[in-house]
Amino acid sequence: MQANGAKGPPRRSVELGAFVVGIAHDAAGGVVAAATGAGKVVLLPADPLAQDAPREVEAHRGASLAFCRGPSGADFLSGGDDGRLVRIGADLQATELLKARRGWIDGVAAHAGRSMIAAVAGKTVHLVTPAGLHELGPHPSSVADLCFSPDGSRLAVAHYGGTTIHLTQKPAEKPRSLAWKGSHIAIRYSPNSKFLATSTQENALHVWRLASGADMQMQGYATKAKSLAWTHDGNWLVSGGVELCVCWGFAGKGPEGQPPLELQPPGDEPVLITRVAAHPAAPFVLLGFADGQVHVADIAKKRVTPLDGPTGSPVSALEWSPDGWRLAAGTEAGTLRLFDLRPRG
Amino acid sequence: MSTGEPDQIPVTVLTGYLGAGKTTLLNRILTEHHGKKYAVIINEFGAVGIDNDIVVDADEEIFEMNNGCICCTVRGDLIRIIGGLMKRSDRLDGMIIETTGLADPAPVAQTFFSDDETRARTKLDAIVTVVDAKFFPARLEDSHEAEDQVAFADVILLNKTDLVSPEELKAVEAQIRSINKFATIHRTRRSEIDLATILDRGAFDLERILTVDPEFLDAAKHGDDHHHHDHDHDHHGHHEHGHAEAKAPAGAAHLTRHDSTISSISLTIDGPIDPDRFRMWISTVLREKGQDILRSKGVLSVEGEDRRLVFQGVHMLMDSNWGQPWRAGDGRTSKLVFIGRNIDGEALRRGFLACARPA
Repeated sequence: MQANGAKGPPRRSVELGAFVVGIAHDAAGGVVAAATGAGKVVLLPADPLAQDAPREVEAHRGASLAFCRGPSGADFLSGGDDGRLVRIGADLQATELLKARRGWIDGVAAHAGRSMIAAVAGKTVHLVTPAGLHELGPHPSSVADLCFSPDGSRLAVAHYGGTTIHLTQKPAEKPRSLAWKGSHIAIRYSPNSKFLATSTQENALHVWRLASGADMQMQGYATKAKSLAWTHDGNWLVSGGVELCVCWGFAGKGPEGQPPLELQPPGDEPVLITRVAAHPAAPFVLLGFADGQVHVADIAKKRVTPLDGPTGSPVSALEWSPDGWRLAAGTEAGTLRLFDLRPRG
Repeated sequence: MSTGEPDQIPVTVLTGYLGAGKTTLLNRILTEHHGKKYAVIINEFGAVGIDNDIVVDADEEIFEMNNGCICCTVRGDLIRIIGGLMKRSDRLDGMIIETTGLADPAPVAQTFFSDDETRARTKLDAIVTVVDAKFFPARLEDSHEAEDQVAFADVILLNKTDLVSPEELKAVEAQIRSINKFATIHRTRRSEIDLATILDRGAFDLERILTVDPEFLDAAKHGDDHHHHDHDHDHHGHHEHGHAEAKAPAGAAHLTRHDSTISSISLTIDGPIDPDRFRMWISTVLREKGQDILRSKGVLSVEGEDRRLVFQGVHMLMDSNWGQPWRAGDGRTSKLVFIGRNIDGEALRRGFLACARPA
């Protein structure tokens, strides 16, 4: 795979006119969808060479706040500040799945294998499984983020004071609590399920070893990391909130006592990394910057290659296609850019 | 607080003890045809008709930082809510945050100093406190929250003035002044006030303090002016305050003041300061006394620099920026105020004077 190219890979840029809150590809990889701060969900071909006009649907009266691919792989889920969780089909049909009693739906996650959906409403998490609807919580504070474990047996929830891990097949059972003082704002399981990583309000990362419950803290970030990514093999943890691509090594004994691998993005002026996204099959991490640049970090080759230049607005959403050949980047100002990295000729 | 960033949305924090008239004021903001679009972040949303504004239901979630410092407590829910509001595509003219009657205003204010993202996108405009003219003296007796809310205020609505006699009104105003002599006081009935006088005031913008708040200038002119509210200093008689009602009238003695230690102090240097020395000194003061110092503000003249150095602090957190340039004929005086408990005015005065640039 080539992450650069003198002429650059095929690309397409579309103005959505509002903050790009989230991006998702359908499981087949043909469609890319983006949700916006104007409450719209926009669908277009993932192929940047396609000329089809974007199709859109109003999912929320206010803003969309959370977005992901649905468990079927062919539809999308959007949570909004109107308190609704909405499913958007490939035909742009919008169906309300949940309506919060009060407040916003500002976190959503899905698991394809077990056909589950989880959505955040304040301190409560709504878990939708084939067996029914469960309310998890209340948690110690409003929930900031959530994620399913890779096999879907668990749902990890980030909040003030630590994380709570629910058993998705036994939602009534007492969940496991992992405490660490402070406010946890993002959460991701490692792909091998050995580790659970959070980022905190104190500009640090926190990682638990799930077998022992032992934990570790990684400090020195310029600001809070709102975006976390594990490489596909679980060997590296990368985050935003810093101007270098800081990679913590989790192969072997783990990062304790080891300095992280720091990859310097090219360019004279350091720029903050706002979003990261790990490639589904290779040790590549996409880096989205506060000025709109998009780079690809190749951890194996210890190299960062620019993919696209600044737009002037922070990258707010960044996703690989499921096959890892295409990618999409959205900015706060509403620019959606699509790239295709497939070798040509 | 970085001043002058064009896209920063002004935020008004609305405080006031239970029953002071905060909800009445809030309903006024929500229902009045002010032609602006505000996001109003409230705790319990009653049934009122909303014209054009966005209402967000919040729970006050006080988060301590992992470093354990009490002065680093922030409102976690606000960080989340403001982050969410910033995704919306409609342009907001301002945000209004209601705090519960028993709330300490510090975590709200500190949120705007300590969270990078919140700070980049919003600016704390003013802390507005509604005070019940009739029951404030009693509140001072039984709650330190009521006193803290007045101490933190940039703007005070002295409300329910129709329920007290002119003498009582003067006395309660004197009590307020003894705690916070720099806030702008508006006398109101049923929280009736032109919203333009409390919203988008730039009260945290020190340029504005100097132009709209005569009390600030007045007090600053007198240099160290440490009020003791339990007795009247002799030298107060010499002051040519434009605000006679702000002084404790003789009749105030019958008010049983609880042993409040909150007071405000202003310090002046007739000329420029040494910025390095000042930075070192103010950092030390706020680190060591930041628990007791609720608010600090300053406008400083720096030698060789045409712009004012403006400074704001809440407890241990502070922020400084270059403000407007001095105009020809300006006195280029360096002024600093502190509002807090157990303020050692003499020590602060000595420390500040030592930051003066030697002539």
